[in-house]
Amino acid sequence: MPMEYARRVDIFRRLKTDYAGFLTSVLWRLTGDRELFSEALQYAMLEIWRHVEKLDGKKAGAYIYRIALSANSKAWRNRIGKNGHFSDSHLDIAAEPQQKTNDAELIAEVRKSIARLPAKQSAALVMRYLQQQDYDTIAQKLGCSQVTARSNVSKAVSALKRVLRYE
Amino acid sequence: MNDKKIEGILRNLAQEHIPQDVQKITEETLRNFNETLLPKKQHILWEKIMRSQFIKLAAAAVLIIAVVFGVWLFVEGSTSVALADVLQRVEQVQAFMYKIKMKTTGNMQPAMPSGPMEMTGTILISNEYGMKMEMDMNMVVNDANQKMRQIMYMLPQEKKMYMIMPEQKQYIQMEFTEDLLAGMKKQSNDPRDMLKRILNSKYTDIGESVINGVEVEGFETTDPTCAGAGGMVEDVKVTLWVDRKAELPVRVEMHYKMNEQMQMEMTLEDFVWNLQVNADEFEPVIPQDYTNPLPNYKMPTANEEGAIEGLRFCEQLLGRYPKKIDMMNLMNEIVAIKDSNNPTAAALKLREEVKGDMNNLPEEEKAKKIMDLMRPVQSLGMFYMTLVQGKKEPVYYGDKVTAADSNTVLMRWKLSDNEYRVIYGDLMAENVSTEQLAELEAAISK
Repeated sequence: MPMEYARRVDIFRRLKTDYAGFLTSVLWRLTGDRELFSEALQYAMLEIWRHVEKLDGKKAGAYIYRIALSANSKAWRNRIGKNGHFSDSHLDIAAEPQQKTNDAELIAEVRKSIARLPAKQSAALVMRYLQQQDYDTIAQKLGCSQVTARSNVSKAVSALKRVLRYE
Repeated sequence: MNDKKIEGILRNLAQEHIPQDVQKITEETLRNFNETLLPKKQHILWEKIMRSQFIKLAAAAVLIIAVVFGVWLFVEGSTSVALADVLQRVEQVQAFMYKIKMKTTGNMQPAMPSGPMEMTGTILISNEYGMKMEMDMNMVVNDANQKMRQIMYMLPQEKKMYMIMPEQKQYIQMEFTEDLLAGMKKQSNDPRDMLKRILNSKYTDIGESVINGVEVEGFETTDPTCAGAGGMVEDVKVTLWVDRKAELPVRVEMHYKMNEQMQMEMTLEDFVWNLQVNADEFEPVIPQDYTNPLPNYKMPTANEEGAIEGLRFCEQLLGRYPKKIDMMNLMNEIVAIKDSNNPTAAALKLREEVKGDMNNLPEEEKAKKIMDLMRPVQSLGMFYMTLVQGKKEPVYYGDKVTAADSNTVLMRWKLSDNEYRVIYGDLMAENVSTEQLAELEAAISK
């Protein structure tokens, strides 16, 4: 029997409050572009609403992780199909102009490549590097062993290096 | 490519600051998402309320109480515009009466009768006993003209208000809380203070005229505080005509708006000063067959605690703080929930509650339940009204501040010359100095 509408709305509002900060933090770091970010956030919210019944429990965090990364991939897929290059408006890492441009491009490539990684690898990578979580936590969230968590992170980094080396 | 560089980039991404405008994109996206996703809901709480004729009439009466209460205060203080001598005379008056004519046009609140309303009444005021007001109202309810007579007593000594409706054979008895009563007493016992407020406002001497053969002098002000009604009104124009010889008020004309659409005109005239009154004139006469649809009803708590509860209630209901908290605008915002594309979970819950339980209740119990449900909103509006009437300089920033703004001033009012009370966005409250307040308020406008 479908969940009562008001109950769904209630859970949805709670999730919005609880995870708005997380979604902003992760999606911004993975997109680095306002338009992409907004698109990814909308996808994420839509998925949360669609699966709100499953998100009323202890595993909500893990589900939302998956939803966020999937939304990021989807937003990037749409963008790549649109014009093939990325915004670098806000990237500001290196001091020298030439290096700055190169780094900005590289960062954009890294972001794009994360969006193309298999789901578990991208999740493990984001948890490890962007959220700086230990392997115990990553394993717990991914529902796997610590060894598998390490393996996923390692595979993700290798995949990024491989992809970026040939692009 | 240096392999280490990728890991460095990943680590740098983790340190990256989230720009302010990105946070705003999140807020906006989440807000818009509700609007597009959630289906439009109808028949929400207030539509139920609208069907209740009793509630329409009671709402009209409550508005009149608020307006007249403001007028009462105003009249006591404003009788001074022919300056100090007039003030002195009025202070000596122990009892007086006058007639009131009021006409409203434009759209009232949905909780109010749907058409124009006219009211005439006689008001008797005694410093010792309180106020008695007899009103005849003509209004449009459900597209039909409806007449109604009300007799209202406000009795500060008993801390009670009675409203008797002979046609309906009903009466309402409301108890005032200590807070509200204290505010009323302070106001009604200090006409000099009221006079100061009027004299401090920008009023204009509009010259001489003749009213009913009496030579008068007119004074005009547009200061909203001079209209009373606890900050509920705007676009105010008040004209006071004073008998040049007797140095007592002869007529007061008021025009103002009570929300975007509703205008009100009011005239107070035929003043009779220095009346002899008896206690029995202020004893409510309630026939035995009259019923009280709201037994044991108490006026909402008009204190900080009640206001915070009201703010919390409104935030849950609206998904944000109300933009204004004077009673009229506040009620309008709450009522507007019925047309909202994105009702909050709390609003939906309330609707379920109304749909589920209330349908089977008799009209009177329904009215009581609705009044109880709306009590936090009333508390907030009443508290703000007492702050305005008490000249506590309340300022409210609900249009700029959200529940997430824990260090931002949502509302403040004055406690003393150098101390203010502040309620923050997270509804925590504390006292701050004038300097601290200035810093806090400067941060809001940034």
